[in-house]
Amino acid sequence: MASTTTTKPTKTKEESPQAAPAKPRTLSEMTDVIDQSTFEQILEMDEEGEHDFSQGIVYGFFEQAESTFVKMETALKERQLGELSSLGHFLKGSSATIGLTKVKDACEKIQHYGAGKDETGANDEPDEKVSLEKIGKILETAKKDYKEAEDFLREYFGDAEPASPLPSS
Amino acid sequence: MMDGGQTSTSTAPSGNSSDFVRKLYKMLEDPSYAEIVRWGDEGDSFVVLECEKFTKTILPKHFKHSNFASFVRQLNKYDFHKVRQNNEDNGQSPYGQNAWEFKHPEFRANSKDSLDNIRRKAPAPRKQTQAHDDSVPTQQIDLLNQQIVAQQQQIQHLSDRYGQMSVDNQLMLQEVMRVQKTVVNHENVIHQLVTHLVSIDNRQKRDSKSVPFQPQVGASPSQVPSMDDGVSTPLQQASKLLSDMNAEMQFNLVGVEPMGEPPKTAGIVSTPTLESAPRNHQRVVPPPNAAAASPALVYPKMNGDMEPVVYPVGATNGIDPMYSEHVNNVPYTMPPKQEGDDGRRQFPDNRKKSTNVDPGWARSPRILLVEDDATCRQIGGKFLYSFSCEIDTALDGLEAVNKVQEGSKYDLILMDIIMPNLDGVSACHLIRQFDRTPIIAMTSNIRSDDIQLYFHHGMDDVLPKPFTRKSLLDMLEKHLVHLKTVSQGLEGPQPATPATMAGQSSAAQSVTVKDDSSPSQSPAAAMNAWQSPNQFQAMATVPPSLQQVPGQYVPANPATAAYTIDQNGVQYPAPPPVAMGPGPGPARPQPRRHISEISNGPENPNLAKRQRMYVQPPQPMVGSMQATRTN
Repeated sequence: MASTTTTKPTKTKEESPQAAPAKPRTLSEMTDVIDQSTFEQILEMDEEGEHDFSQGIVYGFFEQAESTFVKMETALKERQLGELSSLGHFLKGSSATIGLTKVKDACEKIQHYGAGKDETGANDEPDEKVSLEKIGKILETAKKDYKEAEDFLREYFGDAEPASPLPSS
Repeated sequence: MMDGGQTSTSTAPSGNSSDFVRKLYKMLEDPSYAEIVRWGDEGDSFVVLECEKFTKTILPKHFKHSNFASFVRQLNKYDFHKVRQNNEDNGQSPYGQNAWEFKHPEFRANSKDSLDNIRRKAPAPRKQTQAHDDSVPTQQIDLLNQQIVAQQQQIQHLSDRYGQMSVDNQLMLQEVMRVQKTVVNHENVIHQLVTHLVSIDNRQKRDSKSVPFQPQVGASPSQVPSMDDGVSTPLQQASKLLSDMNAEMQFNLVGVEPMGEPPKTAGIVSTPTLESAPRNHQRVVPPPNAAAASPALVYPKMNGDMEPVVYPVGATNGIDPMYSEHVNNVPYTMPPKQEGDDGRRQFPDNRKKSTNVDPGWARSPRILLVEDDATCRQIGGKFLYSFSCEIDTALDGLEAVNKVQEGSKYDLILMDIIMPNLDGVSACHLIRQFDRTPIIAMTSNIRSDDIQLYFHHGMDDVLPKPFTRKSLLDMLEKHLVHLKTVSQGLEGPQPATPATMAGQSSAAQSVTVKDDSSPSQSPAAAMNAWQSPNQFQAMATVPPSLQQVPGQYVPANPATAAYTIDQNGVQYPAPPPVAMGPGPGPARPQPRRHISEISNGPENPNLAKRQRMYVQPPQPMVGSMQATRTN
C-alpha cells in the first residue's frame, strides 16, 4: 500500500484533468474506500485517453449494487436470512473486483450474518432476530459506504449530475 | 410390528391424517423433548438430536417400538426426507454432527391442518421378494426391507463420515509434512549459522593472535569453550541463543513462518529470505578481519557485529519465540512487505506498456469463463482478452457443463463457485465425468476445507477472488505451459529488470495462504498455497514446479520437486550432517554455497556438483528458478 501511494499522485493527475469539478479528489485520498491497485487494474484496461471500459464496468456495478440493496431491503423485511446471505455474497464479489473495500467488507458481514454466523463467519449466531438486527445495521453502513464510493467515482469519471438517491435510505 | 396408518389399510389412508403423522406431530409438541427431538429452526422440518435417547425413550412411548430404523422407514413411507447438507456449505448440519433432520413440505410446526395432506406413498414394491416364497408373512418382509434401508442409511452415514475423516486426515498429513520440513530447514539454518560464526571466530582469533595452531581447533560449538574464554563468550552466547530458539521453535511450530524479509537486507534485491541470511554474513565478515590488526578491538568489535547477524536471521524465519502471534497465523503467511512493495511499484510503472500483454502463446488459449456476476465477468474477460486469449463465457455451472458437453474445446476453465442453477463445484464434478480440461476455481471462499472440497471434486487450482491481473496471468501460465512458444517465464508479460522480477515473483511464490480477512492484500501470492493439496493428492495435471521454470530445465533438475513440497518457501534441503562440517576449512563453504547460487559466482569449487543441476543458467534464469524453488 505504501508504495502505491508513492506512484499514485502522478498517475491520477494525468488521468483526471477532464474529470475535475471544483476540487477533484484523487484516488490516493480515497484509499480507505477504494483499493487503488485493484481499481487501477481496471483503468489499465482502458484505451489511451478514454475511460469507456472502466466507466462501463463501474456504472454497471452501480446498477447492480442499487438493485441488490433494494433486494436486501425486501429480504430483510421478509426476514429471509438465506437470501440476504447470498445477496451479500453476490455484492461482495463485484465490489471486491472493483476494489470497493468498505462495501465489500460490509457485504461479507451480511453474508455471514445471513448464514447464521457472527461477523467473522467463524462462530454461530443461533438467534435469527439478532442476525436480522445486525444485518439491518450493517446494511445501512454498506449503503453509506457505497454512496461515498459512488459519489467519488461519478466525480472521477466526470459525471457532474448528482448520483441517484439510494432506495429508502 | 408396525403401527400407525400403515395398519389401517395398506393402500392409502382415506380422508384424515394418518396415526403415524399425528403421533409424530404430538411428540414434537412436547417441549420436554427439546433436547432430543424438536422442530427445526425454520419450523418446516424436525430434528432428532440425540438418536440414542430418542430410540430408547421416546420411540417406545409414542410408537410402541424402539427401532430407529423402523421409524426412519416409516418416515420414508410418508415421503419425509432426510435433509442433507449442501456441498457448497461444506459444513455440518446446523444441529450437530449426529443430528437427523427430516422434512416434508406439508409437515410444519403450528400447522396441524396440513397434516391431512401427508399420505402414505404407494406401497413398496413387494413383487421382487414375492417370487421367492409367498408363505413368508408380509410383515417379515417389511421388517427385512426396513432393516435393509436402515443399514443402507447407516452405511451411507459411515461413508460420509469416512470421507470427511480422510479429508481431515489429509490435511493433518500435509500440516505434519510441512512442519517436518520446516523444522529440518530451520535446524539447518541454525547449524549453518553457528558453524559460520565459529569459523569467523576462529579466523579472527587466528588473525589477531597469529598463533599458527589455532586453525586446527574444531568448529563445533561444544569445542568453542576450550578456546580462549574471553573471545569465545559472545559466540557461546550466540549459539546458546540460537539453540534456545531452536528448542522454543519445537513448540511454536504451527506458527513458523520462514518468509519474512530481513530488515537488514532491504537494499539487496529481494531474494528469498533464507538466502539473504548468508549474505548478511558475508557483509559482516570483512570488519572483523580488518579489525584484527589491533587485538584490543577484537572483543568489542565482534560483539557488535554478531548482534545484527543473529537477530535478523531469527526475524527472517519468523521464529522469534518472543512473538506469540505467530501461532495465530497458522498456514497463512503475510506477504513480505519489502517484496510486495517492489512488485506493486513495478506494475503501475509499466502499466502503459503492459496494457496488452503477449505472453507468447503458440496459439490463443481458449478460455471458458464461468461467472454469474456481470462485473466480475466483464473484468475477468477483459483481462483475459488483454492476455491474447479467446474467451467464451457461461453464466452458471449448468451452462458451463452444457458447453463442454456439446463439444466445445477449451484449454482452461475458470469457474466461479457460488452460482445460481448449478454451483461451480458440482459443475466441475459433472465435467470431470467426461473431460479433463483444467478447471480453476475462482472464489473468495478459500478456507482450507473449502479448498479440499474443490480439489476433491476435480478442480486443478484455486484463484482467490478478487484476483488481480497478475494472479490471473500467473494462473494461465502455470496451466498452459504447453501453449507457450518459448520459455519466456515471467519476463514476457512484464519487461522489468530481471533481478526485480525475480524478487517480485518470489514474493508471489513464497507468500502462502492468506486468511479471509485480507483478501485484497496479495491475491496473486495466495494461490501458491493450493499447490500442496495438489501434490499430495497427486491430482496436478501440471506439476507446480512448471509454473515458472522453463520446460527444458525441469527434467534436468530433479531437485526442484523436492523443493516445491515445502510451501513455506524454505529453499535448500541440505541435510544437517553436511551443514555441520567441522573445522574452519569445510565450514566456510557451507553458507557460501548459497551466496554463490544467488550470484552465480564460481568462487567455490565445491559448488560444482550442485551447480551442474542448474545447467549454469543465464542471469535472468536464476531469478525465475529461485522463484520456483520457493514453492
